[in-house]
Amino acid sequence: MALKALDIYKLLPKKNCKECGDPTCLTFAMKLAGGKADVDLCPYLDDQAKSVLGATTRPPIRLVRVGVGERFFKVGEETVLYRHEKTFYHPPGIVFRVSDLQTPDEIAVVTRRVRDETFTRVGTDLRFSGIAIENTSGSPEIFAKTVAAVEKQQAHLPPVLIAKDPTAHSAALVHCGTYRPLLHAATGENYRDMCALAKKHGCPLVIRAATLDGLINLVKDCIAEGVQDLVLDPTPENLGAFISRSTQIRQLAITRSVPELGYPVYLDASLTGLQDAAIVLGIVKYASVIVTSPLMPGPAKASLTLRQNIYTDPQKPIQMNPGLYRVGNPEKDAPVLMTVNFSLTFFTLQGYLESSRVPCFMLIVDTEGLSVLTAVAAGKLSEILVRDSLKKFGVENEVTHRKLIIPGYASPLSGRIEEATGWKVLVGPRDAAEIGEFLQEAWKKQG
Amino acid sequence: MTADAQFGWSGTIGEVTLGATKAEGGTRRISYRIGGGTTLPFMEKENSSLTPLIAFEVCDYPKTWSPIVRNYCGDLVNDLCAWTKTADTTYRADLIRLHLNSTRQRDFSDIPAVGKTVEGVLSASSLPLIIEGSNEPKIDSEVFQRCGESGQGERLLLGTAEASHYRSIAAAALAYNHSLIAQSPIDVNLAKQLNILLKEIGVTRDHIIIDPYTGALGYGFEYSYSAMERIRFAALKGDSDLAMPIICSAADSLNIKEVREADPAMQDAVAVSWEFYTGIAAAAAGAEIICVRHPKTIGMLRQAFASMKARPGPAGVE
Repeated sequence: MALKALDIYKLLPKKNCKECGDPTCLTFAMKLAGGKADVDLCPYLDDQAKSVLGATTRPPIRLVRVGVGERFFKVGEETVLYRHEKTFYHPPGIVFRVSDLQTPDEIAVVTRRVRDETFTRVGTDLRFSGIAIENTSGSPEIFAKTVAAVEKQQAHLPPVLIAKDPTAHSAALVHCGTYRPLLHAATGENYRDMCALAKKHGCPLVIRAATLDGLINLVKDCIAEGVQDLVLDPTPENLGAFISRSTQIRQLAITRSVPELGYPVYLDASLTGLQDAAIVLGIVKYASVIVTSPLMPGPAKASLTLRQNIYTDPQKPIQMNPGLYRVGNPEKDAPVLMTVNFSLTFFTLQGYLESSRVPCFMLIVDTEGLSVLTAVAAGKLSEILVRDSLKKFGVENEVTHRKLIIPGYASPLSGRIEEATGWKVLVGPRDAAEIGEFLQEAWKKQG
Repeated sequence: MTADAQFGWSGTIGEVTLGATKAEGGTRRISYRIGGGTTLPFMEKENSSLTPLIAFEVCDYPKTWSPIVRNYCGDLVNDLCAWTKTADTTYRADLIRLHLNSTRQRDFSDIPAVGKTVEGVLSASSLPLIIEGSNEPKIDSEVFQRCGESGQGERLLLGTAEASHYRSIAAAALAYNHSLIAQSPIDVNLAKQLNILLKEIGVTRDHIIIDPYTGALGYGFEYSYSAMERIRFAALKGDSDLAMPIICSAADSLNIKEVREADPAMQDAVAVSWEFYTGIAAAAAGAEIICVRHPKTIGMLRQAFASMKARPGPAGVE
């Protein structure tokens, strides 16, 4: 049962010492109640208060950080089973795997690819998240050498170390121990040694067991050893097993029925022999770290796009409020671009405008959420609507020029819009992706 | 201890039959009874619902079809019956989905040709058939009437009814005992509303497949994904007006920029990735018929669905 902020406040020292980072004990209590703070931040709680609070105020799924520096990623702290209930917050890290039996050149190619490859969609740079190094050779020396070679690339990517033998981890951690690698994996046999390494280097640790009960027991063991940053590998033998176990873990965690399952999930996408399908299911069904062999261009883009789609906030409405929106800090001579209030159109255009780095105004007119093409066909986008919107949103006071850029698909209306508004109409491209170029050329040229 | 998640479902997805065998009054070699799910997709402890079906889409006016498919299938696309037969025997689809896109041409009026086309496709393959008809009020009534008649006894699935036009298609479905696709624009409430409209004119629940409209991956797919999840959730919570199987056709997948502008040597692979990623995610959200246009997507989906449908070992619960 979740506690209310006031109930929590009663258990706090009420010193308002600010050592937790909050101005008062009451604000800290409110954060705890919302699952937004950790009990351990308060240095004055006795063990009993801690155990009462810990169980009910901690986020239902622990936040775990992998890597350090610019490219680190964090996963966990999710609160729902369905994205439409709120949103999914922390997109899974998709990590490319190399083996310590590959040549240094092959490994360097993969490392540089993860470091450099960027796929820009709707104004956001999408990238793969890190590099997993697997100890296929069985030799701790070769493993350590490979990890050293990866680190020599200076890619500063979040590392995942995959080895059965704690000795191999120990040897590799000499080279990357300070970069917060994710260690895979602790099992019933080796968890004491793995926990000792995770503690020594302050690393997150994956635990692996094929049953939920096995995972629960192992979590208890690792916590007893003093390791808190855990990730769960349910080691699915087929895709059905993954969906089933991952969904159960999520449900039992967010309802706080089994607090021991309140950790992010790890998925080795190659385990079932159906890597692409595993990646899709990992993204939609709650995996937080997905390890895969380097992907071909098709699956690479599709997986990054799907991850972006699923981790978009669904509370953004399909319709935008009509109005005048600013991109950057537009001055009086900045271009004005008219488009419809279908949110996908809006966000797509906004993304491309932002990446064009030309400050401008977006005039969003009310087509009841229809796209440009449909709105023109259905007669919802008309010169009257454009004229009224220009007036209603006071565009004349915002800019000194009288030029309006309209979407390419609205070109049949250009003459009528000019007549109705008195503004000069410039027909923009049909594809929002070309708007940057259009602004650089057509807009500047007629300056 | 035993860990087992409880969801508290009370509803069941209604069942719809596609196709009719000889014993059922048709000529199909197989018929499918889809629906019947009692929990989240692929979470059943025992299999009470079918593996998602894969429908291959063909058309009677290939000029407007994706150039990627036309290149891959070659001359076949100009011979609808041969194309259909290949979809059945070589591509190994579960269903054929025929788009009568010839009817989308301006001033189309050759209704008898529609009947001939449907009969040709029915004889080219004995798989159950989905027919996508016209979208023009002036001819809809005649087109659907003709489709219904030509496929009498075959338990076709006719598409697509929308809130703005559903009467012609419903009339044909009712007259010849076919099922229909009810499409609403990515919104669980509109989906429910349309199903109620259909119910009011006599189309029963076991003759309706919901199409929540599928936006292409990267172009609104997340809205469709959530619409499917919401429909499935509402159905399992007991809303019988949403308890029908879902169809997913990400028809725009082959037209989007990422696929169109892919390196020509990789274009087929990229197109297949896009269809495949969408199809798997849609199935995970609850879609039970996945429509594709690229032949190579079929085998990949089939293999993945089999693994998704496989039950875990004695895991989790001891």
